[in-house]
Amino acid sequence: MSEEYIPLVEQKRLRAKEIKKHNLANILTHWFNVAMWALLLPTGIAIMASPRLGLVPPLWSEAFRNVLGGTANLVRFHYTIGLLWMSVLTFNILVGFRRYFLPFAARGMLLDGDDIEWMKIKPLKMLGLAKDKTLPPQEAYNAGQKLYSYLVVLGSAVIGASGATLAFGKYVLPTDWRWIIQWARPIHFSAVGAVVAGLFIHVYMGAVFPEEKEAFFSMFTGKVSGWYARRHHAKWYWRVAAEEAAWEEGVLAEGRERAAQVTAGD
Amino acid sequence: MAVKKRYGFVIDVSRCIDCRACLVACRVENNVPLGYSRIWVKDLGVQGTYPDLQHGFVPHNCMHCQHPPCVEVCPSGATWKDPAHGLVLVDTAACIGCRQCILACPYDARFTNPETHVVDKCNGCIQRVEIGLQPACVATCIGGSRLFGDFNDPASDVSVALRGARSLQRLDFTQGEIDTQPNIFYINGDVQDKSIAPHAPQYTAAESFWRKFAIPAVLTGIGAAAIGQAAAFTKQLLDGEKEFEE
Repeated sequence: MSEEYIPLVEQKRLRAKEIKKHNLANILTHWFNVAMWALLLPTGIAIMASPRLGLVPPLWSEAFRNVLGGTANLVRFHYTIGLLWMSVLTFNILVGFRRYFLPFAARGMLLDGDDIEWMKIKPLKMLGLAKDKTLPPQEAYNAGQKLYSYLVVLGSAVIGASGATLAFGKYVLPTDWRWIIQWARPIHFSAVGAVVAGLFIHVYMGAVFPEEKEAFFSMFTGKVSGWYARRHHAKWYWRVAAEEAAWEEGVLAEGRERAAQVTAGD
Repeated sequence: MAVKKRYGFVIDVSRCIDCRACLVACRVENNVPLGYSRIWVKDLGVQGTYPDLQHGFVPHNCMHCQHPPCVEVCPSGATWKDPAHGLVLVDTAACIGCRQCILACPYDARFTNPETHVVDKCNGCIQRVEIGLQPACVATCIGGSRLFGDFNDPASDVSVALRGARSLQRLDFTQGEIDTQPNIFYINGDVQDKSIAPHAPQYTAAESFWRKFAIPAVLTGIGAAAIGQAAAFTKQLLDGEKEFEE
């Protein structure tokens, strides 16, 4: 969060101003992901019934098997939802690759010098150190969010590939190659575990942490206040402000030009 | 209270003549592809010393162990020991064909079915037993070598056979915490032979990696994240909300 002094009048103006942060595709994809994870995670945990792993309480495994009508149905349900998840994500990326994904990735995922600096200072500040240092301005997503996005993108790709191996490997792999299926299990598990570990932080920061309340509501409305944008994502705020000013200037110039044409016509 | 069933086999080795009708019956009953079998008859060769000689044949199949290593290692619960009767079964629709159970079985009683692409094994013909019939191999055994029934029922064929047996052997495998306690009892003959002896369960590198490294690492990561967030949330509650600053 920026420690910039903002006069009261400007604070009030910024609080009333709304800036668009997420488009409809982002919002729908986000909540689609939430729904898929809400279905996949508990059923995936329930599938892991191996007593030798000793990971999942039998009560959990049995509850899901009973609700869905047995192990085969539980596995089928997990496969089906997983396939739906991957299909929609793949479709989204293919359809919106140039228009949405590349611009988003360029601004929302690539790390710049400020991000590197942010990563050096932020951990120290979280430990109560480096109080004299100020955090560099951040784009629409801060360096921490960018790092987590790498984990999520890479994790999702690994989860999808290993999941497909688990679901369909038996049909394509000869028996001598079934070690690939054996390895797909711990890989699938580890990738999910890594994303879930980050998910704790993501959910807390997005939905519970008071300074980020607006981030949570923006996942419904798509908008944040100018106040939040300037305090948390100053680089993004000033870029949007400049774009807005340029757009306004363009509209005004067009208006002036038309007015001049009308006058000349008279 | 009704006593729980404990299904299993008793095999009278002295009565097996290696006719292999049981293999044929099993294949027909369970649609086992040609070239594969759920049950076997091991030829131990000529045993004893002249003139007390006999040819040893040992029918065997899944031992439906009390503590089956295959069930322990199955990652998805597709193979399980049915608590209703004790038979070790496979849900082929849930099996992912990873072969870990095949490697873990000390008796080599499992194989990958090339038609279903997943594991296959003796299921004690549960589909027949549930409607009051004997397993196909037992029903067809002309010498009466193969017997099937409930060990907890004193009047069952297997209990009666055990009481009248001249000798009793099991191909138990023990190692550390593993004690398979198979539910095939061999009577009236010696089956202790190297060619049929159980081997130690094999656990794959992937399974060991998962158990010894991946699970502790993931649990540590998730635990650290959860504790960190819990601490931050506690601090947040103690600090209280700052209405105009947020």
